[in-house]
Amino acid sequence: MPAFEFDGHELYYELHGREGDPVLTIINGLSMRTSHWGPYFQLLPQAGVRVLTYDMLGQGASSKPVLGASFADHAAGLHALHAHLGIERPYVFGISFGGVVALRYAVDYPDALAGLIPVSTFSELDAQLRGHATNLYVGLVRVGFGFYLDLLMPLNFSNAWIAEHQELIQLIRRVGVSTNELYGIQNLMESMAGFESMTEELAGITAPTLILNGEFDWLTPRHLHDILRRGIVNSRLVLVPRVCHAFTLEIPQLTSRLIADFIHQVEGSGWAGDQTVWVSAEDPQADALLERCPGDHLRAIPLPAERPKRRKSRSAASSTRVKAPPVRS
Amino acid sequence: MASVLDHQRRRLQACFAEHGVGADDQSRITLFVQSLKAINSGVLARLEFQPLDWAPWKFLHTQYFRELEMSTLLSRATSWSTNPLVYMEAGTLNLGLWSRTRAWDYMQAPLEPDARFYRYLAMSHALLSVVRLIPLLPPSLPLDTPFLQALHDVEEENGRQIQLQIRLLKQLELGLSRKEREALVEEERDKVEACYLELLESLCPEQATG
Repeated sequence: MPAFEFDGHELYYELHGREGDPVLTIINGLSMRTSHWGPYFQLLPQAGVRVLTYDMLGQGASSKPVLGASFADHAAGLHALHAHLGIERPYVFGISFGGVVALRYAVDYPDALAGLIPVSTFSELDAQLRGHATNLYVGLVRVGFGFYLDLLMPLNFSNAWIAEHQELIQLIRRVGVSTNELYGIQNLMESMAGFESMTEELAGITAPTLILNGEFDWLTPRHLHDILRRGIVNSRLVLVPRVCHAFTLEIPQLTSRLIADFIHQVEGSGWAGDQTVWVSAEDPQADALLERCPGDHLRAIPLPAERPKRRKSRSAASSTRVKAPPVRS
Repeated sequence: MASVLDHQRRRLQACFAEHGVGADDQSRITLFVQSLKAINSGVLARLEFQPLDWAPWKFLHTQYFRELEMSTLLSRATSWSTNPLVYMEAGTLNLGLWSRTRAWDYMQAPLEPDARFYRYLAMSHALLSVVRLIPLLPPSLPLDTPFLQALHDVEEENGRQIQLQIRLLKQLELGLSRKEREALVEEERDKVEACYLELLESLCPEQATG
């Protein structure tokens, strides 16, 4: 079991693929473990990408500091792990909570990454996300870890996937309860209490950035990813159809293709970070995987994009005013 | 320590998958958990004689009764062994737990927000979080016996009760630096982990070298 010691704590990690290939570092979301990325350990090396994944402090097989750790601690630990392994310019992928760590890493260590892939994540907490976080937290500490996982399941997975994987979901729940320490996950959640918006800092991220957002991610919805798109100048936003918050577990083939294509574009100087919005095909084997998003990408109702509003002159406005219908007595 | 614990967990998962949790192992587990609960409730019992004018009092009071409740629940749900050696070995393990944690240090005087109390919080945090038994069971084994259900209930309740320790360890201002607090917490954790490892080594003895 490879482990790296940092600041008195152990970070457990796994490295898969060929030396010399570009490295993708995967940062887990809350209550995830390295084993959640099993399919990626095959798929990405086959596509010419080496995979480094690790358990952040507080979960999985890594140390769980009783007094907790900050986002900056997580980013510093990852930076030290990269240095320890001699990885100078990785592509840093982070999902959900791990996405925030990835953003922190990109801001704090701008020269220590070749690309950034924030997934199902956010740079600021709005009222809805704060509400979800509070509910999950209260469920964790007042009811228990099993209930916390129960709350996450319908947010993480699509209806179709849940219907097909009832037994697996029970197993995931049991393994989740057994392999996590409540206080470790609680500490990670409590580090959100003092979370300050990173949106202003996004302008400092210059690395090529692929932002991935599931179509039906109601935990971290579209507008939070759009904040990232608008804030990171060298970015593109890709919408992944019919999936929810934890889509990486549900569709590893498609996600691997999106990641590998992005990395090869950057490596081959074919990347254009123009802050545009794209929709992925559902078939991971599709010839053309991405097409430009038609319509207004911020709406759930598929309306055409709003035209820029023109200021009307006072006379024009008054001539188009609709008359009120006569009142019937 | 982490890899040794991990090895023991894997060994026990394999053993329990094959044989289930028999009366000898149920008795060893229950006697150990009851000893943990006796230490924590023994310390907390002092508070029942102290004034109520301290904010954490009601939470410590609740924990005292919950610890007693969980101890008796597990006792009632256990299929007790008829093998006298099990009780002799359990007595030795429990003696080690009391002496390593120096539990009596916290039972000598009223509890106050001081360094001794902070060390008690660290020790009781470890008692509630290090000694986990559900992860020793294979995930496919249903928790459908009174004993396994009671173990599950004890662990869930531990998760709720430890909130008091988490809050106070993080927020109690005693003039200790972060590093000093971390060191103290780790020290208490190491003691409890050593005792927990001894318990694991005593379970499924026929496969202890596996």
